[in-house]
Formats: sequence, structure tokens, C-alpha cells
Amino acid sequence: MSDHVTVTIDGRKLEVPAGELLIEAAQEHGTYIPRFCWHPRMKPVGMCRMCLVELETPRGPAIVTACTTPVSDGMVVHTRNETVQRMQEGVLEFLLINHPLDCPVCDRGGECPLQDHVMAYGPGESRFVEEKRHFEKPIPISELVLLDRERCILCARCTRFSEEISGDPLIEFTDRGNGVHIATFPDLPFSSYFSGNTVQICPVGALTATAYRFRARPWDLEAVESTCMHCTAGDRINLQASHNEVVRILGVDVEPTNQGWLSDRCRFGFQYVGSPDRLTVPLIRDAEQGHTEVTWSEALDLAATRIGEVLAGSGGQSVAVLGGARLTNEDAYALSKFARVVLGTNHVDAQMDDGLDPQFLAATVDRALISDLDSAKAILVWGPDLKEEHPTLYLRVRRAAQELGAALVVVHPRRTGLDDRATHKLTYRPGEGADLLTELVAGSGRASQARQALAEGPVVGLVGRTGYGEDPRLAEAVAAFVRTLPDARILPLARRANIYGALDMGLAPTLLPGRVSVGGEGARSIAEAWGGLAEHPGLDTRGILEAAAAGDIEVLFLVGADPLRDVPDGALARRALERVPFVVAIDQFLTDSSRLADVVFCADGFAEKEGTVTNLEGRVQKVNRIVPGPGQTRPDWSILDDLARRLGVELGFGSAEAISKEIADVAPAYRGVTWDRLDWEERDGIVVPDGGEAPLRFVPADTPGTRAGGDLVLHLARVMYDDGVTVRHSPSLAGLAPGAAVHLHPDDAARLGLASAETARVVTEQGEATLPIRLDDTLHRGVVYVPFNQPGMPPLGPGPAVTVTPA
Amino acid sequence: MGVMSELWKGLRVTGRIGLRSLVGRGIVTTEYPKEFRTKPQRFHGRHVLNRYPDGMEKCIGCELCAGACPAQCIYVRGADNAPDDPNSPGERFGYVYEINMLRCIFCALCVEACPTEAITMTHLFEMSVTSREEAIYTKEELLMRPDGTVPHPRPDDPYADLSELEVADGWVRATAPSGSAAYEGVKMWQDTAGPASWDPEPDQETRDA
Repeated sequence: MSDHVTVTIDGRKLEVPAGELLIEAAQEHGTYIPRFCWHPRMKPVGMCRMCLVELETPRGPAIVTACTTPVSDGMVVHTRNETVQRMQEGVLEFLLINHPLDCPVCDRGGECPLQDHVMAYGPGESRFVEEKRHFEKPIPISELVLLDRERCILCARCTRFSEEISGDPLIEFTDRGNGVHIATFPDLPFSSYFSGNTVQICPVGALTATAYRFRARPWDLEAVESTCMHCTAGDRINLQASHNEVVRILGVDVEPTNQGWLSDRCRFGFQYVGSPDRLTVPLIRDAEQGHTEVTWSEALDLAATRIGEVLAGSGGQSVAVLGGARLTNEDAYALSKFARVVLGTNHVDAQMDDGLDPQFLAATVDRALISDLDSAKAILVWGPDLKEEHPTLYLRVRRAAQELGAALVVVHPRRTGLDDRATHKLTYRPGEGADLLTELVAGSGRASQARQALAEGPVVGLVGRTGYGEDPRLAEAVAAFVRTLPDARILPLARRANIYGALDMGLAPTLLPGRVSVGGEGARSIAEAWGGLAEHPGLDTRGILEAAAAGDIEVLFLVGADPLRDVPDGALARRALERVPFVVAIDQFLTDSSRLADVVFCADGFAEKEGTVTNLEGRVQKVNRIVPGPGQTRPDWSILDDLARRLGVELGFGSAEAISKEIADVAPAYRGVTWDRLDWEERDGIVVPDGGEAPLRFVPADTPGTRAGGDLVLHLARVMYDDGVTVRHSPSLAGLAPGAAVHLHPDDAARLGLASAETARVVTEQGEATLPIRLDDTLHRGVVYVPFNQPGMPPLGPGPAVTVTPA
Repeated sequence: MGVMSELWKGLRVTGRIGLRSLVGRGIVTTEYPKEFRTKPQRFHGRHVLNRYPDGMEKCIGCELCAGACPAQCIYVRGADNAPDDPNSPGERFGYVYEINMLRCIFCALCVEACPTEAITMTHLFEMSVTSREEAIYTKEELLMRPDGTVPHPRPDDPYADLSELEVADGWVRATAPSGSAAYEGVKMWQDTAGPASWDPEPDQETRDA
């Protein structure tokens, strides 16, 4: 046992791994050493002195901090003898010299490590009677975080998090001696995408969140573990509600996904659940009066009558379904079955013309796990800016590059959050990615060094679409290249909530549940189980919208979809929606698109229903219910079940759990995935096997780039805070969207005569807008960057051809 | 014989009290509501939310009372004090404060839990209501008026005694486990520091100058 050493902790002889910190070793064997500054995911600093223990050394007893002392063979440690107890009392008495003890009004009161430690290890009373130091009570250091410097015990958890983990060192210690306190830099708010994590790890109430401030106390919270549905990483969260209102989300430290961290979008983006704008009754639209509230039976009867007429006339070919990525797997399966069996259509798509080929996303072989990043020697990120679109994945990649020594190659048209940790960064103009890929494959030109960095395996490739001006097939070509690298694994990136689950449930024109291809071998058994399937070739979102705009679609279902805002070509979406004679929306809000719907059904959303979701590595995890839906909302499966019955088909859905059993029976990839296992044995989720019926191994590397004619190309990409429905209805986040703007390289701006202009006119084939100019010298020359779906921005379309002129 | 002697013993008590009441002495019952009996000092009547003498509410909305309540009859929501027009000293005040008197078991654990002596119990016990909703006392009904009187369904209630309410929180301190009998009958009102009215520490340059 050379990798283990023997230590004696409080008289117990223990075998512990060599090199482990004393505080960890003791905790693993049931001896809790009190601590404030030490955090298992960050480097030790020994700031708070709370973890002092006594070591027996040849020179007599020595007092050391357990969080900075690695175990060594034969070590004898005392954690609770008289000396240590005196130390602990002294440290706590010192910490309380300046701590204000306003526990009754502090958001941390009741769950505060300082309170708990004082109760457990502290002195009965303090000898200090002097006036405590005073600061102005909470000062907002960002839109989301408040700082109360009086309460701070200077543990450096927040500063270390910002520096080591998130890479936005915007919060620091200032002043000296007795005056040391936490501060942000002048005129620079703590505007990190991860600022909420510092609130969670603060051992006192010095950092508090505006969204939770005075909303509840720990003893009136109900909590349930669930999975975040904002991005596709499948972050484990602790969902907390007070009096039937979701008030807080905390990250849960699980090794496979988020390691305890969350982005602010996930942490504070729960407010839309309790928004007063939520739909609470079904609506039908009247030509004169707009939407009027009706009963469920009226709305269902109307929808069933109109759909029945269309199905009897022109059949399932003229019915289409958009959306479903916001649903749980159970609801997505219900929607998939409803579309295929009741509507008889394959015009089904959960992606909003902003993703990749569904076969590629769902059925890629050699799919990586997120945890593969930890052991990777090289990582290639050729896809969206992870910091903006996959924030917790960004933290994982960052850690791999910064702490674990992986070589990181980032390819993107503009700067990304990972650039400062990238070994090699390559930029290119959207549409010319194929040229750069050819160079990278050959290891020639400016990509030669990057190619060398990728020569040593294991390699993990994170591939996706960098922006909407990009040909989606480029990602497949990049994946094909990654597959030629040693020991390579691939994570295909898509952004929309539960998109992987939706695709696995068959919400794509070419897929059936369990990654079975439409018309493929496995389709027969699904047809048997379902009693029939649609046969005609299906259209994807773009195809559906084009067909609708041409008048070929007579009924359009929007399920949690807002194509007017989500589809890059918003103008096409508007033409389509205005042309379709009958639009049915199942939604939580009246979005721009559901405002045009003839019938709107109100549905239960996140935190209001149970189900499963699948993350980007194929991990199935449970989402749980903590609050009831507002008003008369119902789960999506139950709405579809009722509608099917009115159309003369029994889908036989009894409950979400019954549907999950049906999925386990029908969908090959989901065999054996049951709620019982997810709730008990496999709390961290079950990874369904990669690949599918038609596993995607080979993809052409000679992808044609959609090259723009002009000298400027548009790079249209998402940022974390946009005008999407969940952000818009979460008051804490709504104001954080950076706003519509056109980003130009200073050289391009000068060339176009816009060097000193305030605004510019941006024209693409699909739209135009006048936007304020921001100069950005990290852009590749000739790239015009516009963040997608910002408040007040008209749809521009994906480009990539664009002209920019003075306004 | 035993039965008869026991019966005789009992009837003797009845006879004695009956005779005494004839001459008007030693009556244990009173003719409520014509007559009131003085309640013992520690009687647990309905709650009241106290104020500081400057009119500020003592309640800071910390929900410790709601947490301590074994009947779960208290509902409190806190909110931020407006810095220029605060309801209570400090950052937080009780924005909603409701007690469901039908659920309340008058155990006074809320009084013990309160860190600011904001909630105390009175000798008022007449709380008849005509609906369940009415039994939920809201903050308007619980909060003492600035003049020290209590909003109560029976304004002429002789127990709505201003002078008693003034010392009610002193009584809490007198009977608390860590308190002292010296506080009995003492006004515990104190001047307040106001909300977040601490001046920030001077910076190093100012301090050294």
C-alpha cells in the first residue's frame, strides 16, 4: 500500500491516500474538522484558522491548519483535545469581534456555518465589548449580488472562486490590517455570469442574492433535488420553495455534471415560474376580440374539430409540430406519439433551425462524457462560445485547461470566454470554416501548431455551430476530423433546454423514439407498439416554415416554441404563422408567436411537473415538482391525451410515470431507465448508450461553406441573457441583456466610414435593423457580430451576407 | 355504611358553599360578562405587535416566531425598509404578519422566540368571530397603534389597558430564562439607531489626517 499512509486521528489508526489533505482524510473517516475558508473544489489557503489541529511531532505538539497540511505516514493528530478546543474558541471569539450578529435579518440566519460553528465549537460568551466596525449596509456589487462587509469574515472563498473557477476576478480584498474588506474595482460591477456561486459558498451572509433577499427563511423552505433545464449540461440543482413559490436554486455538488456550480441564468432564472404573466386558463382567438378565456372542454373541442376537418381532408401531410425541447422526455414522447399516430405527420422538429442534424446530435458514436474532460490531454472547442451558451461546461473545460493541464484549442469567429486559457486560438470568417478545417486537418498554415497540440490523446472535441450564419454540416465535418485523432471522443453541442431528450423521443423529422430512424429497421416494432406510423418524409423547421408560408400547412402546433424569436429567419417565421389557417399553441406564456395562435393551451412548466431530461452526454436525470401549476394549467401529455381522445384515438397515457415505463418498453436506447432507479440508486443519472440505430460514424470532411458574396459576413450568435421567454419573465435577469448592437472590427469600421458613428444600418437578405455600433478588435476582419434575440431587435435572419452602412 | 358516610362528606361541602353564597361570601364564579375577573399576570391572551416610542415597529419580519410556532399559525413575509421612510430599525420589516387565532394554542413560544420583543401577549381573550377568515388577525389588527392602544373588536374592553401594554415587553424580559426580575414593570422602550444609519468608516487618508 505505497499510495496509502497510516495516520492516527483522535486515537483511531486510519489508512488514507497519500498526499490527501488532513481535513479531507479526517472527513472521509467521520471526523469533521470545522472550517470556513476551505472548499473541496478550490485550492486551500488557510485564511480562517478554524481548522487548527494539534500534531504530535518529535519537537513536541504543533498547531497546524488541517486544510493546508497533507497527511504523512505515522502522523498523530488531535482534533478535539483541550488545546484544540481552546484554539477553536479563540478563533471564533476573534471572528465575532466584528461580526454584527444581525442574524434575525440576515438571509443566512438559520443555515449559517458561522452560527453553527459558534454553537458547536464557540465560547459561551465574548470578552470583547468594544464597538464593532461599521460599513454601509448591503451595497449592490452587481444586479444580482449584495455585499455586506460588516458580516464578512475574510475567508476568501468568493475571491478564490472568481479567480480559480470562473476566471472573472472582479472581487478582491482591499485595504490592510484591521481595515481589510472585500470590494469590487471602481466603476466595475461584479458582473460575472457565475456570481451567484459566491453567494452559495459564502460561509456567512456577507454576499446575498437580490432574488432571494428577505423572501424566505431556511425553516420555511421546502426543497427537492432536480435538474436545471436552462442549458443542456443537466446541472443538478436543489430547488427550494416557500409557500408554493419557488424562491431559490442551489447547486448540488455532483461529480458527473456541474460539481456544485451553476450559472446565474440557471440560479436566478426560476422567477418566470411564478410570473404573474403566466397563462392560467386556455384561450381561443377571436377575429375581433383577440384572445378570450374559455374552459378546457371548449378549447379542446374547437381544436379537435378543426384538426379533424384537416385530417379528413388533406391528411397528416398538412399538419406540422414545432417545438418540444422545453418538455420533459415523457411529454416529448407523448408529443412524438401524438404527432405520428394521431396527426399522422412526420413534420416534427424540436430544433428551431438553429441546431445541427438530429442524427448527429442524438446518434453520434464515441460520444464523450463531461467527465472525460478531466482526463483529456487535448480539448478542441469548435462551436458556440461555451461561456455564453453552456456555462457550466465552460467551467469544466476551463478547469481542465487551467488545473489539469489539457491543451486547449478554441476555434471561433470572435473572442470567447475560454481564450485566456486556450493554448491556441483560431478565428475565421463564418462561411470559411471549411478552409480552416482543411488547414487544421493538414496541419498547415496558421493551424499547424494547433494541429500539433491535438496530436496527443485522449482528445475531447466539443463541436457545434458557432453562429447562425454557419453551415450546420461544418460541425459534422469537424467531428469527423476529431474522430481521426488518437483516443478521441465527441460532445456535440446544442443549446436548447432538453433538446437531446426531445430528439431521443423522436421530435425530429427523421427520428423516432430511442434514436430509431424513420423508415428504418427499428421503426417496425414502434409501429407495432403504437398501432401505425406516418409514412411520408418529414420536413424540418425550415421546411415546415417554408411550406407554411407557401400555404401547404393547414394546422401548426407550437409546443413551448416561439419561432418568431427563436428561428434565425424571423421574417420567414412571421410569414408562415400569418399564413397558417389554424395554429395551436401549448405554452406557459403568451409569446409573440402564441399571440397569433387560434387556440392556446396553458401548460405546467419546470418545477411544476415530474419527469426526466437527457443532457448532452446522454445522461438521463430526474426533474421534480415542488409547486403546483398556476390556475388551470395541465401537463402537456394530459392535454395531448385529451385531444387525441376527441380525435378518436386512445393514446393510453395514465401519468408521466406510466409514460416513462412505455418509453422504457418502446425506445431501444432507454431500456431499463426507470424513475425508481433515478430516484434512488442512480441519483446522478443514467447515461444511455451512445449511438443509435443509424450511428453516425462517417461524415464528409469536404463540407461546402456557404460563402457569402460580399466582403462582410454576419456572425449571429446567442449570449447568455437575451429576450427569450424565461429570461424576459425573470425580473432579476431581464435587465441584464446587453442590448442589440452591431460589433465591428475598428479597421472595418474605419473602412466603412463608421469610425466615429454611433449607429449603423445592418441589412441582410432576410431583414434589416439600425443598431448601435460597438468596436471590438478581437473580431476576425470582415466579421460583423450581432448578438441574437436582444430586446427590441427586429429579426435579421441568419445571413451570412450582410451590408453595413451609416445610419 | 361506607357509601353513606362518603355521600354525607360531599353534601357537607355543597351545603357549606350554598349557605355561604346565601350570605354573599366565598363565591368562586362570576357573572361574566357583567363582571370581569382580573387575569393572572402570565395569562396568555391575544398577541400584539409592539412599537418603539418613536413609533417604529419592533417587528423585523425575521420569521423566528413562525419557525417556533408549534401550531404553524403565524405567517410572516419580510421586505426591505425604504431607507428614507423605514417601518422598523434596520434593513428588514414584517411586510405581512398574520396569526390564525383558530390554530393558535396560546403557548407563547413566539414571544420567547422574538429577538426584538416585538410580539407579546395581552390579557385580551374575547376573540369571537363569525367566519374563519376573520379569525386570521392581520398586521393591521395586531400592530399597536402609535398611541399604545390595541385595535380590538371590543374597544371598550377594560383589558385594553395602555399602561399594561407599555410594560408588556419588560415583563417578557423579566420572565425570560436569561432575564432578570428587575425588569418587571419597566418600560423596555429605547431610542433606535434607525435603519442602516451607521456612517461608513472613514477611509485611511481621512483617518490619518
